[in-house]
Amino acid sequence: MILSALFRNVYQGLTVPLFSGLRHRDLLRMLLRRDVVNRTSGTVLGMLWPLLQPGLQIAGFWFLFDIVYGMRFNRGPDFLSYLLVGMLPWLCLTEVLGRAAGMFREFSSLYRRTPFPVELLPVVVMLIPGLVYTLIYVLMLGLMFDLATALHAFVIIPLLLLWILPLVLLFSVLGLFVRDFAQALPFALMLIMYCTPILYFPDMLPESVRNVLWLNPFADIMGLMHALIQGEAFAFSPQAVLRLIVEWLLLLGPCWLVFRRSLVHIREVL
Amino acid sequence: MDKPIIRLEAVSKYYKLYRHDLDRVREILTGKARHESHYALQDINLEVKAGEVVGVVGRNGAGKSTLLKILANTLQPSSGSIVVNGRVAALLELGASFHPEMSGHENIYLNCAIGGLGKKETDVIYEDIVEFSGIREFIHRPVKTYSSGMFVRLAFSIATHIDPDILIIDEALSVGDGVFARRSFDRIMEFKKAGKTIFFCSHSLYQVEALCDHVLWIEEGRIRARGAPAAVVTEYGEYLRMQSALAEQLDDHEASPSQHSEGGKQAGKGAGEVPRIVSIDVRVDGTSARAHRMMSGVSNLEVVVTFEPGRNLPMPSVALAFTGGDGRILSSVGSVNDGIELHRNDDGMGVARLCFPALPLLKGNYNLDVYLMCERGLHIYEAVVQAAELNVEQQGLARGLVNLPHQWNTP
Repeated sequence: MILSALFRNVYQGLTVPLFSGLRHRDLLRMLLRRDVVNRTSGTVLGMLWPLLQPGLQIAGFWFLFDIVYGMRFNRGPDFLSYLLVGMLPWLCLTEVLGRAAGMFREFSSLYRRTPFPVELLPVVVMLIPGLVYTLIYVLMLGLMFDLATALHAFVIIPLLLLWILPLVLLFSVLGLFVRDFAQALPFALMLIMYCTPILYFPDMLPESVRNVLWLNPFADIMGLMHALIQGEAFAFSPQAVLRLIVEWLLLLGPCWLVFRRSLVHIREVL
Repeated sequence: MDKPIIRLEAVSKYYKLYRHDLDRVREILTGKARHESHYALQDINLEVKAGEVVGVVGRNGAGKSTLLKILANTLQPSSGSIVVNGRVAALLELGASFHPEMSGHENIYLNCAIGGLGKKETDVIYEDIVEFSGIREFIHRPVKTYSSGMFVRLAFSIATHIDPDILIIDEALSVGDGVFARRSFDRIMEFKKAGKTIFFCSHSLYQVEALCDHVLWIEEGRIRARGAPAAVVTEYGEYLRMQSALAEQLDDHEASPSQHSEGGKQAGKGAGEVPRIVSIDVRVDGTSARAHRMMSGVSNLEVVVTFEPGRNLPMPSVALAFTGGDGRILSSVGSVNDGIELHRNDDGMGVARLCFPALPLLKGNYNLDVYLMCERGLHIYEAVVQAAELNVEQQGLARGLVNLPHQWNTP
């Protein structure tokens, strides 16, 4: 009973937003346009901003860690390439999660008084940063490595987005109904970033901490990404893949259930 | 087409009230109810066939809007089942989903997409939307630069061009300024003629009665009465009158209830474009005044309404209503109802001349309301409430409001 309910929710959690996205292609295109207008209207640099923001953030980290602290790894790649490979997907992920938390408020004018398909919204908040960061990631990998490596971006970013789908569903609900959530989220994400080997090598952690790193799924994600792109210095861990799949399956069902239950509420609150 | 296009079975809608914000989250997370229910609709059963025009009347907060929102699929019912076979266009809050920074052009595509139309389908109707809205020269500017009239015109144009099977109209039958109001009204009449299903909710009982095939009266979330417009509207009007009389007793207010003064007296707009009343001359036995003393069954009442008929519009019609001190209509006459066509005088003004010989109203104070309406007598261009006051005196002992034509047959 419980298993079949779980399976059903996992299935729906994946297919309902996906099919909604396919069915409402034209609407999705207009929403992308709307987002571009939202970001660029009244700005001087316009479309450059979505590219500049991650660039400037990474430049800041690079200055601090590479120039000021002179961070060097005893093996593997130089600091900057390591940083870029991990940091860009992470920024994509934080942007998606941040938007998810404000999603229902951001789009309230669309769904409140119209029969707008609300299940489309998670697709929207994932798709917009997804497209931007795929582009940046492809360019960056192409410049630093080669074309074959650059093509990895087309797999890595979509897989990453797929993996955080449960969190997007959950955060969108929490962000709407628990006001504190949106306030706390940026700090929580920052803490997670420090607990995840993005700015440092996993070997730099003390032994005791390294042994429990598997508890942090984002560490698994980072490990896999480095293994895929910067192969030789990082071991590909099948256990990490398995862990991520199991965690995803366990999360998606309940998160979809919460999302589905909240749909009746969202037009009544605010 | 006898299959119902809309079917509601035991539909209820309650809003969930929470003592604490977090209770809502707990309910969502655990699935255990933690709310108190506030019922907006209870146990609504309804079947509407294609082509029916359904009027919805009821006081504010009775649940009309909730019903319309459920039909428009912007609210889900809490229980019961609802089947809607067709595309719905709701004129509920026009332009609510417009994005201010985007151009009219883009907003057309965005709103059509929300309404379920693909890009190709929108391409087909795009020209018609722009044409009807009448704002072609502004269509590539952001809608934040539009005047509120232009905004609403575009929104109305989009909503009514997506070829809905069902049209849901809340309150305003007319949109924007005079000329567009007229066109929007005509457009809705086209829908009626084309056999579309229309849900129409209004405080204007006159319009409800004139337009609808079927009227629902909703009171406290339930259907209190339904059926032929004349019967339900009369019953509802009676109820309103009693309520306001009651309220007046409680408040000891002097304010005159005027539930039919919707339009109020509007200032004339855009000279000559919109039909408007120019003058109302009320004469008793040849003397003009606004307030008259007159003798029941003796004095002759003459009313002359002069109006600008409006450019490029069919000749408007005129109606008069006699109301008692409580706002209740005692009698009314209309040129459409009487099959009279009005004509222009030499100045190009429309004139309606109406005579009531030996006015049979009995002792009391009465008001005369004047309406200038479209040629079908449905859309009100201008309403002048209390255009004249009649203070009627009488000689005999007859009691009541009016002396009915009668004869005694004695052997």
